[in-house]
Parts: sequence; structure tokens; C-alpha cells
Amino acid sequence: MEFRPRNYTAEEATYSLPRSHADTHPLSTPSPSHHQVDVVDHKKDDFYDPLRGSDANGKVSIDNLQDEENSSAVSKADVGLPEKEWTSFKKLLMQRFSGPKMVSISKMSDVIVKSGKVHEKTSTTMPLEELDDPQKFAEDGIKVISQQEYVSRLHELKDEVARAWRADDRVTSLKVSIKVARLLTDTSVLQFYPTLFVLATDVMDMLGNMVWQRIKQKAEFAEDGNVICSLPENFDEKYICLDAKETCSNWFFKIGSIRELLPRIYLELAILPCWRFLLNRPMDVLERLVMMTRGIADPLASAYCRLYLAHCAQKLPQHNTRYLIICINDMEILLTRFLSEKEATHEKFSENCGSFVSLTEPAIEYIIKCIIKESYQTRAGEVLMDLGLGRKQPCVSIILHHLLKELSSELVGSNALEILQLIECSKDYSFDQCLNYRLLGFRLSERSQLDIINAVVDKIIQVVSAYNNLDEYLKVIDAYVDIILQNQMDNHLHVILDGIAKRACNEGIAEIELTSLQSIFLKLLAHFNNLEDIFSLTHFIEILDMMHGSSRSMVNMHILNIATRNRCIGDPTIIQFIFEVSQSLHDGIDYSNMRDDDNQQRARLISRFVNMVDYGTEVERQLAFLVECRGAFRSINELKETLVRSSNCLAVKAMKDGKKHLSFVKSCIAYSEVTIPSVPSRVRQFILYLETAEIALLGGLVSHSDGLLDSAIICLQTLDLMDGNAERGVTYIPRCMLTLINSQSWMTSRMRTMVLCAIVSLAATLSQFKLPYHANHEEMLGNDHLFFGDPTYLQELLSLSALILQNLVDFIMQEPSRVARGSMALEACNCIASSFNPSHEVLPFFSKLMETAKSCLSSNDKYLHSTIKCTAKFLQTNT
Amino acid sequence: MSFFCSSLCRLVAMSVELKLSRSNRIFRPNEPLEGKIITKLPSSISHNGIRLTVNGSVTLQVRGGSAGVIESLYGVLKPIPIVNKSIEVRSSGRIGSGTTEIPFSVILKHPGDDNLERFYETFHGGNVSIQYLVTVDVVRGYLHKSLSATVEFIIESEKASLPDQPVSPELVIFYITQDTQRHSLLPELRSGGFRVTGKIGTQCSLSDPLKGELTVEASAVPIHSIDIHLLRVESILVGERIITETSLIQTTQIADGDVCHNITLPIYIILPRLLTCPTIYAGPFSIEFKVSIVITFQSELLKLNPKSDPRTPRLWLAMESVPLELIRTK
Repeated sequence: MEFRPRNYTAEEATYSLPRSHADTHPLSTPSPSHHQVDVVDHKKDDFYDPLRGSDANGKVSIDNLQDEENSSAVSKADVGLPEKEWTSFKKLLMQRFSGPKMVSISKMSDVIVKSGKVHEKTSTTMPLEELDDPQKFAEDGIKVISQQEYVSRLHELKDEVARAWRADDRVTSLKVSIKVARLLTDTSVLQFYPTLFVLATDVMDMLGNMVWQRIKQKAEFAEDGNVICSLPENFDEKYICLDAKETCSNWFFKIGSIRELLPRIYLELAILPCWRFLLNRPMDVLERLVMMTRGIADPLASAYCRLYLAHCAQKLPQHNTRYLIICINDMEILLTRFLSEKEATHEKFSENCGSFVSLTEPAIEYIIKCIIKESYQTRAGEVLMDLGLGRKQPCVSIILHHLLKELSSELVGSNALEILQLIECSKDYSFDQCLNYRLLGFRLSERSQLDIINAVVDKIIQVVSAYNNLDEYLKVIDAYVDIILQNQMDNHLHVILDGIAKRACNEGIAEIELTSLQSIFLKLLAHFNNLEDIFSLTHFIEILDMMHGSSRSMVNMHILNIATRNRCIGDPTIIQFIFEVSQSLHDGIDYSNMRDDDNQQRARLISRFVNMVDYGTEVERQLAFLVECRGAFRSINELKETLVRSSNCLAVKAMKDGKKHLSFVKSCIAYSEVTIPSVPSRVRQFILYLETAEIALLGGLVSHSDGLLDSAIICLQTLDLMDGNAERGVTYIPRCMLTLINSQSWMTSRMRTMVLCAIVSLAATLSQFKLPYHANHEEMLGNDHLFFGDPTYLQELLSLSALILQNLVDFIMQEPSRVARGSMALEACNCIASSFNPSHEVLPFFSKLMETAKSCLSSNDKYLHSTIKCTAKFLQTNT
Repeated sequence: MSFFCSSLCRLVAMSVELKLSRSNRIFRPNEPLEGKIITKLPSSISHNGIRLTVNGSVTLQVRGGSAGVIESLYGVLKPIPIVNKSIEVRSSGRIGSGTTEIPFSVILKHPGDDNLERFYETFHGGNVSIQYLVTVDVVRGYLHKSLSATVEFIIESEKASLPDQPVSPELVIFYITQDTQRHSLLPELRSGGFRVTGKIGTQCSLSDPLKGELTVEASAVPIHSIDIHLLRVESILVGERIITETSLIQTTQIADGDVCHNITLPIYIILPRLLTCPTIYAGPFSIEFKVSIVITFQSELLKLNPKSDPRTPRLWLAMESVPLELIRTK
């Protein structure tokens, strides 16, 4: 098998038609205007969706959570916060306070220090009996161990409790548990305390469960294993046998004898559910425990103790909120005292107090959640009164914050004024007052009544007007913007924009303020959705100009999005404004940092804007605009194509308008010509050159057109026609295509035949000593130079061709329609005849195809005749 | 007590055990003491009878510390017997190998009996102990050591003789200030002053917790801790003298650290079993109880004396003691 040698130069000379000059260009019909706009519009789906903003996300999840809670409260009111929730709460708690690496421990925590590890004798030799009389005084020597060590020691203690229990040594289990509970007295570990709490209460819960199971077992089974009774979920104390009761009260006796208050409370809480074996209404016990907790003076330890209490109370079948409300009120007393002390002494205020408040926060949050959940159906309003809404005296702001967060939106809505008053008078350091104002705003946006809203907003505007700090101002305003917009409180809107502008002018806009400002602006944009309205807002542009960074870009993107939503933009002031917006957006693109899609989105928006600008008849102005754009948006590649197309369009438009367009068209063409080389893709360049050449021809600018075509061809030549990658083999691409067409079932036999014929022709061409085209580039060698006379190269092409011929015949035979099959066979015959020298390898294919063609087509078929005639020559050469 | 016996018996690989019918081992004098004798034997043995002995007595002891030199010579005083009974559960015979259970029932107090003493309730004290034991002996002739086991059982007063729950438990109001203290106080305490008030029960049923409440109204010096000490006051008649000793039964902390002022803290103390009993005034001895509220103030001195006896008056302590009558109710 061998390829037919060709001499392309000679052939070209032989077969070229005589050429004559044409007056009109065959393409002289005006080119239709492009459909870019539609295309862009389709992509709108990809655009930034305000609903997907991170803020909204957070809120949604909170709402969901509440919904979940609410629904669970409705469906199984007596189950309480499910265990799962506690687990995830603990996980979050530990994550939130990952704590320092090293933990300093006082001597109280001796149990943590392993025997012999630290220089101390007392801790190692202390007999268990001394447990009940630990001397927690006189400890100046504070030791430091790593947090990891502490944690692993706690795990060991937990194992110890479990192990002792399994060995029926319940006294040891209890003693070790008491040791663990005692660790919670030491709050000097600060950031580590939440982790300590989680680990220690794990031990408590485990012990509690084991005790519960044991007593339950005693109540249900006699010593000899006989069933006494099977306890239902909601059993009555009177069904519990004496033996079980005895064991149960024994546990309470043992725990009651613990000297120290905190471990005694924790241990009783751990086995709190066991009270059910003795009492039908263990809620009184809970109240006593709440009161006992008052004896813990350390605010952190007592807060977490109450947290554990709230958690353990969930395990009881009945619930009420009384004890929880006492809890919160007691916490409030403690907090108030703590805060006023700190305030009085100014003692390392911000740091210490802040970390303390954030450490206490989870406890407050959890307890308030429990209160709201439990009072949901029955008496939420009363609870509100109990918690301080009724008493008109300051409430600790962090507590107020969580309360406000958890209350149902109906309650917030109907009590908005009272809540506002509470916020107003609770101004302490536990929580930023302005954040409570802010939260109220968000809660009110969920649902509210107009009359109340008006009063609240009036009040808020009054409050914030006293703020000098822009950050606080923005934080509060941000929450009310939606309300103000929805209720058309235009004068308020004016006032707040004025307020923002004034404060921003004074002190500039810091990074932290930008976020709020961004949020406010996005709300404005989303509400008006119309650029004219937005520009008419006083100070809008002024404030926008003061913004910077990513927030500015975000706002700009939204503006652009709104601007490009309509058909086209003709108002010069708006164009100028949006141009500036785009420019700042463009300048903000940071190619090193940002995600690609973000950049792409900006580029897309700017392109769309450029595309939509329409100065109408003022074409010069529009061209000037395009020039300006090219300068301004240098780094956006996809825009360059748009620019060329726009300028081409402009040229066509000018031609259609008719009057003295020539010089203008020339300017357009020149513009395009200059712009095209900056398009990075060669293929794109090629297409753009062709397009522009057409326009030039259309405008009668032949020499321009020539130049452009020339550029187009140069462009094409620089495309490497055949990848001569030696590693993958020269026929890598055709082989890939072969696999492709074999694997794609949707391809018709016709398509396959065409592709395969083309590959055969390609192979034949590549085998020539001199290729018909060469890249017009010195360093880029064609395959004919690279592989000249290389037998393996030739062999490779031949084996590919052989493979293809086989495939070709197969595909043609699969074609169901006779006529199509015939013409396809003829095509293949032509291809074979032009590509190969007749040889015994090729001829069987050829004759088979010929037979097929003859049998399928009528003998009058012209194509058949001409092919027969043509191929006769081919066959002759063979013989 | 059962562990005591089993450790002895394991040596000979046979054991006898006493198991009372009630797991809390509480019996009343008018009730029969019931239970089982359980023998575990590798092979059958013969015996000369199985005897059960019930013994209850008041043990009196004067410890050197509180008594004078002369009294300490007396050492342990003669115990006061309450009950001493011995019955033969089985006459001589054989017990088979493996586990054998022999039920028993002993009447503690015959209605007509003139008992030696009242059946006081069980009490484990420092100088006075009231204890009831039941012992089983499997007598096995001269060559073999007899098998035996002893178990303590607990006596509580007969229900019939008990008073009803007091309708309103008597509460006493107390207040503790720098002026109520008879010992010397830290100068800053004396000058700055403090005031802790509250109320606490003075009569309490043994089955109920001791309740009360306490409020710190003012304190110039931060509070370190507030503890409630439960004390026993044991008196013994030795010759012509009554020797009284007060000792600590249990400490319960009710405030840890400088608690907020003007909030009420509950006092809630579960009375420990065995270590408490109804207040007794008997001829040769008496058992009374006291509650002491001790406020420890924060002080440098406190750190220097970490292990001092909480009942000793110290510069940094303020205290108030209240007598407590314990009663058994229905």
C-alpha cells in the first residue's frame, strides 16, 4: 500500500480556473446585526444571586434551626432538646474555644497530674479518703501541663470510671467521677474551660446512665432474673420495688455527703433522672438545685453548672420553665455584679471581660433556647414578662441578645416597643448595645405590624443619630434598611444616607465598615432595581466613591447587573457613570488572588455593558467610547472580541445610514485592525480578521480588506496544522478522532464516512515530500521538514490509513438507505483513488465499494458515471 | 461484715454466709429478724449444731484527748447490753456439699419480755456506738474449726411508737455578724463588718433532709466559703462526771467563693445513715446533735493554715451553732 505522490504546485497550476475581476463582491449583502445581547442574557443564570449571599445563608440556617425546634416542640413537647442537639452543641463548644496549648492547673486538679510525673508528693500519696477533704487553699505553685495531656488524662479517668463499674466497683466509679467533677471548680484554665466542661460532663452523663440502667434493672428484674415488671416510658414511682428504691436513695445519700458544693451539684445532676424512681414530680428537685447553684460564686463555673442543669433537666419527662427562668435571672445578677466590678476597677478590661463574656455566652444561649422551646406553646408571653420585659429595669445585654434571637417573630413583632426600651436601658459591656438594636431590626423584618414599625424606626433613627462611630451607625442601619424600603419611609432613607455620608466624610470608611455598607447598598440596589431611581438618591454616588476594595466591587457588580438588565443604555450620564463603575471594577480585579469565576463574572458584566451601550446616531461618539473602553479594560480578553464586533457593527450601521461614512468606516476598520492582535486566541483572531475583512469589503475598502485577509492567513498559518508530537506518535490526533467517532452512537454513518475520508486525505497529504501549506514562520517547521523521508513516519500514516479503510467500508455497509449508501461508497472511492496508488491492499476495498455503489444506485446516476470514468484511470495505472 | 467472714473461710475452701431478708438490713424491734444461712461446701460435713446469736449493745469509750488523765485509765467502759439471744437453728447432723440455704427467723423482742434495755437505734459514733450483730456458728467438734459469719443489722424504732411528721418543722432564725463572735477576728473583719442571716431547722426527721436558708447581706471581706457542719455531741457518765465530746460528722459546703449579696442560698443537708440517730438522753450516756454554720473569709492567713480544724475559732472564721434534735417519724 502506498500513497499517491502529489505535486501540489503543478496541480494548482493545472487546475486553477482562469481568474477575472468581479465588480461586486459576492458577500455584498448587508451582514445581519449580531445577537450578542440574547446570548448574554441567557447567561444570567450564572450571575451572583443575592439570595445566595453569605449573610442570608446564616440567617436561613438559624431560621431552619428554629423551625426545626418549633416543630419538634409541637410534635413531641415532652421529649426536650434531643440528645443529638446536645452532642452537636458540645462539638461546637469545643470548636469555638479550642483553647491555649498549655493549661495551668492549680493543685485542686491533682487528679490530672499523673503519679510521679510532677515534683509533688502530696498528690501521689493522697489516699482516696482525703477526697472528701481536699485542701484547696494555699496554692501558689501553679503547674502547667499541655492541653493534650489534660484531655488524654480526662479520657483515662473516664475509662477508669467505666472499668471500675464493670468490675462492680461502683464506689470507685463514684469516687473518680467526683474527682472529675471537682476539676470544674478550677476556672483558671479559662479558654480551656468549655473543653473541660464537655469532657467532664461526658463522664457525668456516662455515670448517670449506668446508675439509671442499674436501678431500672433492679426495678424490672428480681435478683434471680425473674421479671418483676416492665417499666413504661412514663412510669409511676409506685411500681418501683423497694429494693430498687433502696439502691436509688443510696446513691443520693452518697452524693449528698460530698462536701464541696460544685461536685455535689454535678453529681446529683448526673443522676437526676433517677429521682423518678423515688418521686413522681422531680421538678422540685430541679428547683432546689437551681437554688443551690447560687452558692457558686465563680461566674464562669456557675454559668456552666446551670448549662449542665438545663441539659440534665431535658431528660426528665415533665418540663417547666420556672427553674430555667430562675437560672437566667440568677445569671443576670452574677453578670451584673461581675461587669460592675470590672467597670469599677478598669482591670484589663477589654481582654479579660470580653473573653469571659464569650465563654459564658454558650450557657446563656442554651438556657434561653430551652426556655423558649418549652414555653413555646403555653405561655411564651408570660415567660417574656418573667424574663424582665415587664420589670422595666436594665437587663444584661448579652442575655437580652440571646432572648431576642430566640423569641418567636410574632412575639418580637408585638412587643417591639418594649424590647426597644429594654435595649435602650441595657447598656453594659457584656454585649454591644448597637448589635441588639441591629438584631431587633432583623427580627422585625421577618414579620411586623406597620404602626409599631413606624414607632420603632423613628426611635432607632433618633438613637443612631447620636452615634459618632460610622461602624455602629452602619450596623444598626443595615438591619432597618429593608423595613424602611418596604414601608416607603423615604424621608428616613434620606436621613440615613445623609448620616452615612456625613460620618464617612469625617473619618473615612474602614475595612470593617465596608461590609455593612455593602450590605446596605445591595439592599438599596435590590429594592430600586432601576438606575435612575438609585442615582436620584442623595449621597448615593458620593458614598459609593468613598468605598473601596471587594465591597466596592461587589456593589459595582450589582450596579452593572442592573444596568445591563434592560435592552440598551443610551443616556450619556448613565453611560459615563457606569463606565466609571466598570473601570473601578476592572481596576479591582486581582488576578493573583481571586477565584477565576469571580474575575470571569466581572469580565462578563463589563463586556455586556460595553455591548449594550448605544449612542444611537452619534456613531463617532460611540467609537470614541469603544476607544476609551479598549484603553480602560486592557486586561479583559473576552472584551476585545466584543470591542471588535461593536466597532464592525458600528461601521455597518454608518454605511446603512449612508451619509459621508467612508472616513468613519475607515476609522472603525482601523480600530478593529489594531484591536484584533491583542485577542489571545489565534482562531478568534482569524475569525475576527475575516469578519472585519468582510466589513471592509462591504465598505468598499479593498486594500483594507486585503490587508486584513492577509493577516487572517498569517494567523491561520501560525496554527500548527499537524501536531508532530513524536511522543504521542504523529497520528495521535487522527487516531483520537477515530476512537471518538466509533464511540459516539449518535453519529450517522454519513458523518462518519466524511470524517474518515477526510482523515485518509489528510494522511495522504502528510505523506508528501512537500506540503501544500506552510506556516509563515521560520521557527515553525512543517511535518514535511520534520520527517522528510522517515520510513517509520510513512509507515505510521499507512497503517492508520489501512485501519481507516476497513472502518470506512464497515460504516458504509451499515447505512440503511440504499441511495445514501451508494453515494457514500462513491465518495470513499474518490477519496481512495486520489489518495493511494492502486495496490493489492487497496483494491479489494475499492472494488467492494464500487460494487456497493453500482448495486445501490441506478445506472443513470451521474455521480456514478463520473466516478467510474475518473477511477478508470486509477485502475489503469494498476495494470 | 460479710467480707470479713468470707476472707477467713476461703482458706478452708468452705464458707458460711448470712443473708438478711432485706437488702437495707433495717429491722424494727417488733419484727422478726429473717434471713438465710448459706453454706458452700466442697464436700458434706457433720456438725454439732448450727447456732444463731443476736447481740446488741451500746459501746462506750472515752478517748484520751477529751478525758482527763484519770478517766483515760478507764479506757473502754463496760458495754451496755441491749439484747443477747442464742438459738439453735439445727441440731447436730450433716450439711451436704454444694450450696445449702437454711432459712431462719428470730424474734428480737417478745411482747411480754422484760428487756435489758430499750432498743436504741443503730448509731456509729466516736465515743458511743450502738450496734446490732447476728452471728452464725457451725460447731464442728474439737478437731475442726467451727464455721462462723457475722452480719450487722440495723435497728430503727418501731413505727407504732413514732410521732407523726412534725406539722411545721421548727426553724430558728440566726444572724451572724462581727458582734456575735466571741473570738477575735481579723481587724478588717472587725472594722468592716459583715452580716449573714438565715434560718435553719432545729428539729428534723431522720428521713428528711435538714433544710434552711441563708443570705449574705453584707461583708466587707470577700467570703471564701460557707459550710454547714453537722456535729454529734456524745456524753458519757464516768463515775461522777459526765464527759462530753463534740465531733464532726459531715461538712456540707453551701457557698463556694464570694457569693452575691442578698440572694437566698438554700441549706439542704442529707443526714447520713448510721452516723446519725434519734437524739437520745439515756442515763449512762446521751447522744445529741448540733449544726454549725461556718463562714470562712478570704485571708492570707487562711492560705498559711490550710488544714486547721474547722471548729477551732480562727481570725478568719465566723460561726454560729444551733442545737439539732433528730427524731424518727413515721
